[in-house]
Amino acid sequence: MIDTLSFWREWLPLLLEGLKVSVEVAFASIPIGIFLGLVFALGIQSKSKPLQALTVFVVELGRGTPVLILLQFAYFGLPSAGLALSSYAAAVAALAASTGAYTSEIIRAGLEAVPYGQKEAAIAIGLSRRDQLRDIILPQGLRIAVPPLLGFSILVFQGTSLGFAIALPELISRAYFVGSNTFHYMPIFVLAGLLFAAICVPATLLVSRLEKRLSRYTAS
Amino acid sequence: MTDIRVDSVSKRYGKHVVLDDINFRIKSGEVVAIIGPSGSGKSTLLRCINYLEPPNSGIIAVGDLQMDCEARPANTDLDRLRRTVGMVFQSFNLFPHLTVLRNVSLAQERVLKRPRKEADERSMELLRRVGLADKSEQYPSRCSGGQQQRIAIARALALDPKAMLFDEPTSALDPELGLEVLTVMRELAETGMTMIVVTHEMRFAENVSDRVIVMADGRIIEHGESAAIMRSPQTARTQQFLHAVRDR
Repeated sequence: MIDTLSFWREWLPLLLEGLKVSVEVAFASIPIGIFLGLVFALGIQSKSKPLQALTVFVVELGRGTPVLILLQFAYFGLPSAGLALSSYAAAVAALAASTGAYTSEIIRAGLEAVPYGQKEAAIAIGLSRRDQLRDIILPQGLRIAVPPLLGFSILVFQGTSLGFAIALPELISRAYFVGSNTFHYMPIFVLAGLLFAAICVPATLLVSRLEKRLSRYTAS
Repeated sequence: MTDIRVDSVSKRYGKHVVLDDINFRIKSGEVVAIIGPSGSGKSTLLRCINYLEPPNSGIIAVGDLQMDCEARPANTDLDRLRRTVGMVFQSFNLFPHLTVLRNVSLAQERVLKRPRKEADERSMELLRRVGLADKSEQYPSRCSGGQQQRIAIARALALDPKAMLFDEPTSALDPELGLEVLTVMRELAETGMTMIVVTHEMRFAENVSDRVIVMADGRIIEHGESAAIMRSPQTARTQQFLHAVRDR
């Protein structure tokens, strides 16, 4: 037990550096991904059939492809198309693409959950289509979507561990490095798991509290 | 002058005819009640007048704006129509994420391009008129149904419409709260507002409205001066309907 603690103390700084990379990648890819998700959600609801079809195609491709493949495609595949990304940029690109595809459905569901009477009222007071969306539908729809979006964001944060496959120096890569150098795989991965949990568990609790608060101002 | 003219308006959903050749005229300042059994097309007719449901054929004219229902409506015409005609819904449909004041101000800023301060001043004036100035900073969910409906009336009045459409404005309210809404509507009628009211409030139809239109099965079956229709209806269908309503 004492051994494990001192082992942890020895390697904790290295793992914390990895955790920092994980957090950075998550914080970069989640906003980009959610923005993409909003664009896709609006594209799917577009009146233009070609735009709608294109968006559906992109979203289904993004949802149908494992993130691990997206990561490897961004890191190993894109250079052959002349675009060489650092492991950091490739991870952000792949996670953002995957997040965009998944969150587009969350956002679309949120927008559709806004009662139709809201749109009718907006039409009846003469708002343009753009203003209907901006002032009435998006604020209410996104509010409905916030808790599942945050929940998904926690999954994206955990997903950064897949960066291990493209030599991204995130938490799991570092843990693996330590494990292969010391042969103490078990304790180092337990520590890595604890570090993930230290962020994810409080985040989950916060999300459920926020969910309760946000439910106050939704239309009946 | 903002007369409303509805000429041979029809509305179908597939093969189902909801409105069959509807004709009537309303003079500026008149209050008209539309009554009739559920499913008779009253609400659809009202919603056709401001194009929430585009009719399939006929002509709808409000003031000098004329909409040919077979043509694709021009956006500028739709904008003018909705600016000229305000609408109040059975279920209020206030915007729950905005304060009462913002609910009333929003269209003024977006549609009339009024500066926010000016819009808010006008909104406060309207809220005072419906007796709810003290609720301006509340959210709609904190207001009773009757208050919400009065706010909805203020919201519809914010664009200074020339006519107001009411779609069963008191049906979702208990009698006491309904009364406060009817009082506001009565006051509005007294200011000379042109109003079309789909309602089951027979007292309102008889005492406040100038004329009554009775609908059944997508047609107008009777149309005339309120007192005459409410006291001595001519068609058997109207008699039956009025009996049913009064015997409750």
